[in-house]
Amino acid sequence: MIEVKNLQYTYPGSRKPALQGLDFSVERGEVFGFLGPSGAGKSTAQKILYKVLKDFQGSVLVEGKDLQLWGQSYFTRIGVGFELPNHYLKLTGRENMQLFASFYSGVTLKNIEELFAMVQLEDAIDKTVETYSKGMKMRLNFIRAVQHDPEILFFDEPTAGLDPVNANNIRTLIQDLQKSGKTIFITTHSMHTADELCDRVSFIVNGKLAATDTPEKLKSQYGKDAVHVLLQNGSERDFKLEDLGANEQFISFLKEGEVKKIHTLEASLEEVFIRVTGETLRA
Amino acid sequence: MKLKHLNGIVNLALTDFKLIFRDPSLRSFLLLPIILFVFVLWLLPMWVDQYDFLVPYLPVFLIVAVVENTQMFCFISSMVLIDEKETQVTKVYGVLPLTAPQYILSRLLIPFLFTVLLNVVLIALQPFYPISWWENLLIAVLAGMVVPVYVLAMNSYVSNRMQGMIYVKAFNMLVLLPIAAFFVPQGWKGVFAILPTHWLFQSIDAVVDGSDPALIFSIGFSFMIFLTAYFARLFMSRHFV
Ligand SMILES: Nc1ncnc2c1ncn2[C@@H]1O[C@H](COP(=O)(O)OP(=O)(O)OP(=O)(O)O)[C@@H](O)[C@H]1O
Ligand SMILES: [Mg+2]
Repeated sequence: MIEVKNLQYTYPGSRKPALQGLDFSVERGEVFGFLGPSGAGKSTAQKILYKVLKDFQGSVLVEGKDLQLWGQSYFTRIGVGFELPNHYLKLTGRENMQLFASFYSGVTLKNIEELFAMVQLEDAIDKTVETYSKGMKMRLNFIRAVQHDPEILFFDEPTAGLDPVNANNIRTLIQDLQKSGKTIFITTHSMHTADELCDRVSFIVNGKLAATDTPEKLKSQYGKDAVHVLLQNGSERDFKLEDLGANEQFISFLKEGEVKKIHTLEASLEEVFIRVTGETLRA
Repeated sequence: MKLKHLNGIVNLALTDFKLIFRDPSLRSFLLLPIILFVFVLWLLPMWVDQYDFLVPYLPVFLIVAVVENTQMFCFISSMVLIDEKETQVTKVYGVLPLTAPQYILSRLLIPFLFTVLLNVVLIALQPFYPISWWENLLIAVLAGMVVPVYVLAMNSYVSNRMQGMIYVKAFNMLVLLPIAAFFVPQGWKGVFAILPTHWLFQSIDAVVDGSDPALIFSIGFSFMIFLTAYFARLFMSRHFV
């Protein structure tokens, strides 16, 4: 669906390139993610893909066609969920949606009320956006991105600034979009979002990609296939997962005392990220 | 412009009026033309009757009224667009199936036409000089072009409302400054030729004076068209990022 080769970009007036040669692809129907710390270049890469930043180097093909050759019809095929809320504050939620809806032609627009209900904003639909909280505005961002039912979706930090319940809700909605066949490219610095949503994830640091794979593979490469057991009396041991039920030593260790903690030793995506890139996600 | 965008563009124009009416500071600017009409059609004739010494300054009063008529939408449209940039709504327009020239046209066509209309009516109703309908139209259109030049230039340099307020003062100065050409010795007049509104002012003066305005109009229109094109390009390269 999207194929990117040796993508480089330097902001006008800036010395340091923001992107230093990215190679990646997003397959049809997949959720692909960029995981990386602040300033890594996640938004920059997306801005190039949704044609706001021009003058990049390298090649970008979308559905086999050079990005530069796509005309205005590209914008009916894509939906963009921006990183920060951007709405007319003096207009209501409904007015905001209707205004932007009116620019699309030849597509079936989704029902506005259903969209607001989908993100639990039905009570706010006729209130001016200046009365919305940040999380409410971000949910409005989300439904604006999908209202023209685009094939390809870009979500820049879709769960940032949301409380856990709403973040979870957005993750579910993105999964629903995937089920309906959409191709989705998200950026995030939340390993949780990347882990839960992405079919494949690329680690991005300082404008370079460090590793690209499924979250499971990345985690298994760096974690241990083992459980860690800690007893109340303070003694602790690790046991291989393989044939754990038949492991006599494991069974007898459990009988030695009251179990305080027991957990698998798979690496979290964040730990993998640190191992691979030498950087933390919070930077 | 393709018909399929008409829906969006009409919607956008209507939205602009909603935005103007819901913002007290923008709304109050809608009163400016009313004040100008009261001034030109009622106060000024009264004063001129009473005070003879004002008569030589009549062209200047008329010029100020015409150019101030443009300031309503110069201010309103500038502020609407600055607000849009400050709240990053512009980014949404960057990913809509709408080209930048279409966006500019949809935001500025109605303010331009409305401004032209205001001046056509003002010039037709002013009781001081007989001005032919085509001279009226030329003056009104030339004056109307101040709006896109002003708004596009303003939005090419300004990124937030605070900055906007400062630039508005500076721009208003620049717009009015060529009035001074009427008060300086003849040799100094040329200094103001670098300001676009100078040619508007001089063309109005030529028309009321009965001299041939053709050359001045030509320079004025060329200058305005050049500036519109120049700032439109600058604006497009900066506004949506
Ligand atoms: N408009 C700009 N002009 C100049 N440099 C910029 C601009 N926008 C971003 N940069 C720089 O480009 C680099 C990448 O920025 P980008 O916004 O893509 O990061 P990001 O990964 O999206 O970070 P975040 O998680 O904070 O959103 C940073 O070093 C940033 O300072
Ligand atoms: Mg970002």
